[in-house]
Amino acid sequence: MTNKDFKYTPLNERELSLLFDETQKTMPEMSEQFLERLQNQAIEAALKKPQNIIAPEERPLLDRLANILAQAGGWLPRVGLVSALFFGILLGFNPPKFAFDITTAFYPMERLSDLIGLRDELEFYLAHI
Amino acid sequence: MEGGLKNSCTDDFLETMKSHRDEELLARFSNGDRKAAIALNSRLAPIVFTQALRILNDRAEAEDVTQECLLRLWRAAPKWEANKAKITTWLYRVTLNLCIDHLRKSNRNISDVEQEVVDDTPDVECKLRNKERLQALRRALETLPDRQKRAVILRHIVGLPNPDISDIMGISIEAVESLVSRGKQALARTLAPQKKALGLEDD
Repeated sequence: MTNKDFKYTPLNERELSLLFDETQKTMPEMSEQFLERLQNQAIEAALKKPQNIIAPEERPLLDRLANILAQAGGWLPRVGLVSALFFGILLGFNPPKFAFDITTAFYPMERLSDLIGLRDELEFYLAHI
Repeated sequence: MEGGLKNSCTDDFLETMKSHRDEELLARFSNGDRKAAIALNSRLAPIVFTQALRILNDRAEAEDVTQECLLRLWRAAPKWEANKAKITTWLYRVTLNLCIDHLRKSNRNISDVEQEVVDDTPDVECKLRNKERLQALRRALETLPDRQKRAVILRHIVGLPNPDISDIMGISIEAVESLVSRGKQALARTLAPQKKALGLEDD
Protein backbone atom coordinates (compact mmCIF):
# COMPACT_ATOMS: atom_id res chain seq x y z
CA MET A 1 0.00 0.00 0.00
CA THR A 2 2.64 2.45 1.00
CA ASN A 3 5.17 0.49 -1.03
CA LYS A 4 5.79 2.52 -4.17
CA ASP A 5 7.44 -0.43 -5.92
CA PHE A 6 4.29 -2.51 -5.61
CA LYS A 7 2.82 -2.42 -9.12
CA TYR A 8 -0.58 -3.89 -8.32
CA THR A 9 -3.29 -2.09 -6.42
CA PRO A 10 -4.16 -4.09 -3.31
CA LEU A 11 -7.73 -5.27 -2.92
CA ASN A 12 -9.98 -2.82 -1.17
CA GLU A 13 -12.33 -3.65 1.72
CA ARG A 14 -15.27 -4.39 -0.60
CA GLU A 15 -13.26 -6.72 -2.81
CA LEU A 16 -11.95 -8.60 0.18
CA SER A 17 -15.48 -8.91 1.53
CA LEU A 18 -16.58 -10.44 -1.78
CA LEU A 19 -13.95 -13.14 -1.34
CA PHE A 20 -14.93 -13.80 2.26
CA ASP A 21 -18.59 -13.96 1.24
CA GLU A 22 -17.81 -16.86 -1.08
CA THR A 23 -16.98 -18.97 1.97
CA GLN A 24 -20.49 -18.45 3.36
CA LYS A 25 -22.30 -19.71 0.26
CA THR A 26 -22.02 -23.42 0.92
CA MET A 27 -25.04 -24.52 2.93
CA PRO A 28 -23.84 -26.14 6.14
CA GLU A 29 -26.43 -28.91 6.13
CA MET A 30 -25.31 -32.28 7.41
CA SER A 31 -26.57 -35.43 5.77
CA GLU A 32 -28.76 -37.75 7.85
CA GLN A 33 -26.26 -40.50 7.32
CA PHE A 34 -23.39 -38.41 8.65
CA LEU A 35 -25.42 -37.23 11.65
CA GLU A 36 -26.31 -40.80 12.49
CA ARG A 37 -22.67 -41.84 12.24
CA LEU A 38 -21.71 -39.06 14.64
CA GLN A 39 -24.46 -40.04 17.06
CA ASN A 40 -23.38 -43.65 17.04
CA GLN A 41 -19.83 -42.52 17.73
CA ALA A 42 -21.02 -40.35 20.64
CA ILE A 43 -23.16 -43.11 22.17
CA GLU A 44 -20.39 -45.65 21.80
CA ALA A 45 -17.94 -43.27 23.49
CA ALA A 46 -20.38 -42.53 26.33
CA LEU A 47 -21.03 -46.19 27.03
CA LYS A 48 -17.39 -47.14 26.76
CA LYS A 49 -16.18 -44.47 29.17
CA PRO A 50 -15.18 -45.71 32.60
CA GLN A 51 -17.59 -44.43 35.24
CA ASN A 52 -16.40 -41.52 37.31
CA ILE A 53 -14.63 -43.13 40.22
CA ILE A 54 -14.91 -41.21 43.48
CA ALA A 55 -11.78 -41.43 45.60
CA PRO A 56 -12.36 -43.60 48.74
CA GLU A 57 -11.79 -40.69 51.10
CA GLU A 58 -14.55 -38.70 49.37
CA ARG A 59 -17.13 -41.43 49.96
CA PRO A 60 -19.41 -41.23 52.97
CA LEU A 61 -18.71 -43.78 55.72
CA LEU A 62 -21.95 -45.67 55.12
CA ASP A 63 -21.12 -45.95 51.43
CA ARG A 64 -17.75 -47.43 52.28
CA LEU A 65 -19.30 -49.94 54.70
CA ALA A 66 -21.92 -50.84 52.11
CA ASN A 67 -19.10 -51.38 49.62
CA ILE A 68 -17.31 -53.76 52.01
CA LEU A 69 -20.56 -55.67 52.53
CA ALA A 70 -21.19 -55.77 48.81
CA GLN A 71 -17.78 -57.34 48.29
CA ALA A 72 -18.64 -60.05 50.85
CA GLY A 73 -21.06 -61.67 48.43
CA GLY A 74 -24.68 -62.70 49.11
CA TRP A 75 -26.82 -62.13 52.20
CA LEU A 76 -25.59 -65.25 54.09
CA PRO A 77 -21.91 -64.21 54.21
CA ARG A 78 -23.02 -60.71 55.15
CA VAL A 79 -25.07 -61.97 58.11
CA GLY A 80 -22.11 -64.12 59.18
CA LEU A 81 -19.72 -61.19 58.97
CA VAL A 82 -21.98 -58.91 61.00
CA SER A 83 -22.65 -61.63 63.62
CA ALA A 84 -18.93 -62.36 64.02
CA LEU A 85 -18.23 -58.68 64.46
CA PHE A 86 -20.97 -58.34 67.07
CA PHE A 87 -19.92 -61.35 69.17
CA GLY A 88 -16.27 -60.43 68.87
CA ILE A 89 -16.93 -57.05 70.43
CA LEU A 90 -19.21 -58.61 73.10
CA LEU A 91 -16.60 -61.19 74.13
CA GLY A 92 -13.91 -58.58 74.16
CA PHE A 93 -15.75 -56.44 76.67
CA ASN A 94 -17.23 -59.22 78.80
CA PRO A 95 -15.23 -62.43 78.47
CA PRO A 96 -16.81 -65.51 80.13
CA LYS A 97 -14.96 -67.32 82.89
CA PHE A 98 -13.96 -70.30 80.73
CA ALA A 99 -12.28 -68.01 78.25
CA PHE A 100 -9.93 -66.80 81.03
CA ASP A 101 -9.22 -70.43 82.02
CA ILE A 102 -8.29 -71.39 78.50
CA THR A 103 -5.96 -68.42 78.19
CA THR A 104 -4.14 -69.18 81.45
CA ALA A 105 -3.87 -72.86 80.46
CA PHE A 106 -1.65 -71.85 77.56
CA TYR A 107 -0.09 -68.78 79.14
CA PRO A 108 0.37 -69.54 82.87
CA MET A 109 2.16 -66.31 83.55
CA GLU A 110 0.05 -63.59 85.03
CA ARG A 111 2.17 -60.58 84.41
CA LEU A 112 3.46 -58.87 81.31
CA SER A 113 7.06 -59.14 82.51
CA ASP A 114 6.61 -62.92 82.69
CA LEU A 115 5.30 -62.98 79.16
CA ILE A 116 8.22 -61.06 77.71
CA GLY A 117 10.78 -62.98 79.85
CA LEU A 118 12.27 -60.04 81.69
CA ARG A 119 10.73 -60.59 85.10
CA ASP A 120 13.84 -60.22 87.30
CA GLU A 121 15.40 -57.35 85.38
CA LEU A 122 12.14 -55.44 85.28
CA GLU A 123 11.46 -55.91 89.00
CA PHE A 124 14.97 -54.72 89.82
CA TYR A 125 14.58 -51.70 87.63
CA LEU A 126 11.14 -50.81 89.04
CA ALA A 127 12.42 -51.16 92.64
CA HIS A 128 15.19 -48.62 92.04
CA ILE A 129 13.25 -45.90 90.33
CA MET B 1 -30.19 -49.68 17.92
CA GLU B 2 -31.09 -47.39 15.03
CA GLY B 3 -34.77 -47.44 15.91
CA GLY B 4 -34.02 -46.52 19.50
CA LEU B 5 -31.68 -43.86 18.30
CA LYS B 6 -34.29 -42.21 16.14
CA ASN B 7 -36.93 -42.43 18.86
CA SER B 8 -34.66 -40.86 21.41
CA CYS B 9 -33.80 -38.00 19.08
CA THR B 10 -37.29 -36.59 18.92
CA ASP B 11 -37.79 -32.85 19.20
CA ASP B 12 -39.42 -33.31 22.64
CA PHE B 13 -36.37 -35.08 23.92
CA LEU B 14 -33.99 -32.43 22.60
CA GLU B 15 -36.29 -29.73 23.99
CA THR B 16 -35.98 -31.14 27.50
CA MET B 17 -32.21 -31.18 27.12
CA LYS B 18 -32.11 -27.50 26.13
CA SER B 19 -32.19 -26.37 29.73
CA HIS B 20 -28.94 -28.21 30.43
CA ARG B 21 -25.64 -26.46 29.93
CA ASP B 22 -23.04 -28.11 27.71
CA GLU B 23 -20.82 -28.72 30.73
CA GLU B 24 -23.64 -30.47 32.62
CA LEU B 25 -24.37 -32.68 29.66
CA LEU B 26 -20.70 -33.52 29.28
CA ALA B 27 -20.52 -34.56 32.94
CA ARG B 28 -23.51 -36.84 32.38
CA PHE B 29 -21.89 -38.12 29.22
CA SER B 30 -18.81 -39.09 31.25
CA ASN B 31 -21.05 -41.12 33.51
CA GLY B 32 -22.32 -43.12 30.56
CA ASP B 33 -25.55 -41.19 29.93
CA ARG B 34 -26.65 -42.13 26.42
CA LYS B 35 -29.24 -39.35 26.18
CA ALA B 36 -26.67 -36.72 27.12
CA ALA B 37 -24.44 -38.07 24.37
CA ILE B 38 -27.20 -37.66 21.80
CA ALA B 39 -28.14 -34.18 23.02
CA LEU B 40 -24.55 -32.96 23.05
CA ASN B 41 -23.86 -34.40 19.64
CA SER B 42 -26.98 -32.77 18.18
CA ARG B 43 -26.01 -29.45 19.69
CA LEU B 44 -22.29 -29.37 18.93
CA ALA B 45 -21.91 -31.23 15.64
CA PRO B 46 -23.55 -28.47 13.52
CA ILE B 47 -21.33 -25.82 15.13
CA VAL B 48 -18.18 -27.76 14.31
CA PHE B 49 -19.34 -28.77 10.84
CA THR B 50 -20.32 -25.21 9.85
CA GLN B 51 -16.97 -23.86 10.96
CA ALA B 52 -15.05 -26.62 9.18
CA LEU B 53 -17.08 -26.26 6.00
CA ARG B 54 -16.54 -22.52 5.85
CA ILE B 55 -12.82 -22.89 6.30
CA LEU B 56 -12.27 -25.90 4.06
CA ASN B 57 -15.15 -25.46 1.62
CA ASP B 58 -15.22 -29.20 1.12
CA ARG B 59 -17.93 -31.41 2.61
CA ALA B 60 -15.87 -34.57 2.86
CA GLU B 61 -13.00 -32.77 4.58
CA ALA B 62 -15.40 -30.91 6.86
CA GLU B 63 -17.01 -34.22 7.85
CA ASP B 64 -13.61 -35.70 8.66
CA VAL B 65 -12.73 -32.72 10.80
CA THR B 66 -16.10 -32.77 12.58
CA GLN B 67 -15.82 -36.45 13.40
CA GLU B 68 -12.25 -36.08 14.65
CA CYS B 69 -13.03 -32.98 16.68
CA LEU B 70 -16.01 -34.55 18.45
CA LEU B 71 -14.07 -37.73 19.08
CA ARG B 72 -11.42 -35.65 20.83
CA LEU B 73 -14.10 -34.03 22.95
CA TRP B 74 -15.51 -37.42 23.98
CA ARG B 75 -12.01 -38.54 24.92
CA ALA B 76 -11.40 -35.37 26.92
CA ALA B 77 -14.78 -35.59 28.68
CA PRO B 78 -13.76 -37.56 31.81
CA LYS B 79 -11.02 -35.06 32.64
CA TRP B 80 -13.01 -31.97 31.65
CA GLU B 81 -12.71 -29.12 34.13
CA ALA B 82 -15.97 -27.22 33.85
CA ASN B 83 -14.58 -23.99 35.27
CA LYS B 84 -11.56 -23.92 32.97
CA ALA B 85 -12.92 -23.47 29.46
CA LYS B 86 -16.24 -23.30 27.67
CA ILE B 87 -16.83 -26.34 25.51
CA THR B 88 -17.66 -24.26 22.44
CA THR B 89 -14.46 -22.23 22.84
CA TRP B 90 -12.48 -25.45 23.09
CA LEU B 91 -14.27 -26.83 20.02
CA TYR B 92 -13.61 -23.72 17.93
CA ARG B 93 -9.94 -23.94 18.83
CA VAL B 94 -9.60 -27.64 18.04
CA THR B 95 -11.62 -27.32 14.83
CA LEU B 96 -9.47 -24.43 13.69
CA ASN B 97 -6.28 -26.41 14.35
CA LEU B 98 -7.61 -29.44 12.48
CA CYS B 99 -8.76 -27.29 9.56
CA ILE B 100 -5.41 -25.52 9.31
CA ASP B 101 -3.70 -28.92 9.25
CA HIS B 102 -6.07 -29.99 6.46
CA LEU B 103 -5.37 -26.81 4.52
CA ARG B 104 -1.64 -27.43 4.77
CA LYS B 105 -1.93 -31.02 3.65
CA SER B 106 -4.48 -30.28 0.97
CA ASN B 107 -2.75 -29.74 -2.35
CA ARG B 108 -5.86 -29.65 -4.43
CA ASN B 109 -5.42 -27.43 -7.44
CA ILE B 110 -7.74 -25.59 -9.75
CA SER B 111 -8.00 -28.53 -12.15
CA ASP B 112 -9.67 -30.59 -9.38
CA VAL B 113 -12.14 -27.80 -8.86
CA GLU B 114 -12.90 -27.55 -12.55
CA GLN B 115 -13.80 -31.22 -12.65
CA GLU B 116 -16.19 -30.72 -9.77
CA VAL B 117 -18.08 -27.82 -11.28
CA VAL B 118 -18.23 -28.65 -14.99
CA ASP B 119 -21.89 -29.25 -15.73
CA ASP B 120 -24.61 -28.04 -18.11
CA THR B 121 -26.02 -25.25 -15.96
CA PRO B 122 -25.91 -21.77 -17.48
CA ASP B 123 -24.08 -20.25 -14.52
CA VAL B 124 -21.15 -22.62 -14.86
CA GLU B 125 -18.82 -19.70 -15.53
CA CYS B 126 -19.99 -17.98 -12.41
CA LYS B 127 -19.53 -21.16 -10.35
CA LEU B 128 -16.08 -21.65 -11.71
CA ARG B 129 -15.15 -18.08 -10.87
CA ASN B 130 -16.47 -18.50 -7.34
CA LYS B 131 -14.42 -21.65 -6.91
CA GLU B 132 -11.37 -19.86 -8.23
CA ARG B 133 -11.92 -17.08 -5.74
CA LEU B 134 -12.12 -19.59 -2.91
CA GLN B 135 -8.99 -21.33 -4.05
CA ALA B 136 -7.17 -18.03 -4.33
CA LEU B 137 -8.31 -17.03 -0.86
CA ARG B 138 -7.17 -20.35 0.57
CA ARG B 139 -3.77 -20.04 -1.04
CA ALA B 140 -3.41 -16.46 0.13
CA LEU B 141 -4.37 -17.43 3.67
CA GLU B 142 -1.59 -20.00 3.62
CA THR B 143 0.95 -17.23 3.10
CA LEU B 144 -0.06 -15.41 6.30
CA PRO B 145 1.80 -15.83 9.58
CA ASP B 146 0.00 -18.38 11.75
CA ARG B 147 -1.64 -16.02 14.25
CA GLN B 148 -2.81 -13.61 11.55
CA LYS B 149 -4.25 -16.53 9.62
CA ARG B 150 -6.15 -17.82 12.66
CA ALA B 151 -7.53 -14.39 13.50
CA VAL B 152 -8.66 -13.67 9.94
CA ILE B 153 -10.30 -17.09 9.57
CA LEU B 154 -12.19 -16.79 12.85
CA ARG B 155 -13.28 -13.20 12.16
CA HIS B 156 -14.15 -13.22 8.46
CA ILE B 157 -14.74 -16.86 7.54
CA VAL B 158 -16.23 -18.35 10.69
CA GLY B 159 -17.79 -14.99 11.50
CA LEU B 160 -17.08 -14.80 15.22
CA PRO B 161 -17.01 -11.53 17.17
CA ASN B 162 -13.66 -10.28 18.47
CA PRO B 163 -14.31 -11.14 22.17
CA ASP B 164 -14.92 -14.80 21.22
CA ILE B 165 -11.78 -14.85 19.10
CA SER B 166 -9.89 -13.36 22.02
CA ASP B 167 -11.06 -16.28 24.23
CA ILE B 168 -10.25 -18.88 21.61
CA MET B 169 -6.78 -17.54 20.88
CA GLY B 170 -6.04 -16.55 24.46
CA ILE B 171 -5.06 -12.99 23.55
CA SER B 172 -6.53 -9.52 24.18
CA ILE B 173 -9.26 -8.06 22.00
CA GLU B 174 -6.85 -5.33 20.88
CA ALA B 175 -4.38 -7.99 19.76
CA VAL B 176 -7.16 -9.70 17.79
CA GLU B 177 -8.06 -6.44 16.06
CA SER B 178 -4.43 -5.82 15.20
CA LEU B 179 -3.91 -9.36 13.85
CA VAL B 180 -7.08 -9.18 11.74
CA SER B 181 -6.15 -5.79 10.35
CA ARG B 182 -2.59 -6.80 9.43
CA GLY B 183 -3.82 -10.12 8.05
CA LYS B 184 -6.32 -8.41 5.77
CA GLN B 185 -3.73 -5.96 4.53
CA ALA B 186 -1.40 -8.83 3.70
CA LEU B 187 -4.20 -10.71 1.93
CA ALA B 188 -5.09 -7.63 -0.08
CA ARG B 189 -1.50 -7.31 -1.27
CA THR B 190 -1.07 -11.03 -1.96
CA LEU B 191 -4.26 -11.23 -4.02
CA ALA B 192 -3.66 -7.99 -5.91
CA PRO B 193 -1.99 -9.61 -8.98
CA GLN B 194 -4.98 -11.94 -9.37
CA LYS B 195 -7.56 -9.19 -9.08
CA LYS B 196 -8.51 -9.23 -12.75
CA ALA B 197 -8.42 -13.01 -13.08
CA LEU B 198 -10.77 -13.33 -10.13
CA GLY B 199 -13.20 -10.87 -11.68
CA LEU B 200 -12.96 -8.48 -8.80
CA GLU B 201 -12.40 -5.37 -10.90
CA ASP B 202 -15.77 -5.84 -12.60
CA ASP B 203 -17.80 -6.45 -9.42
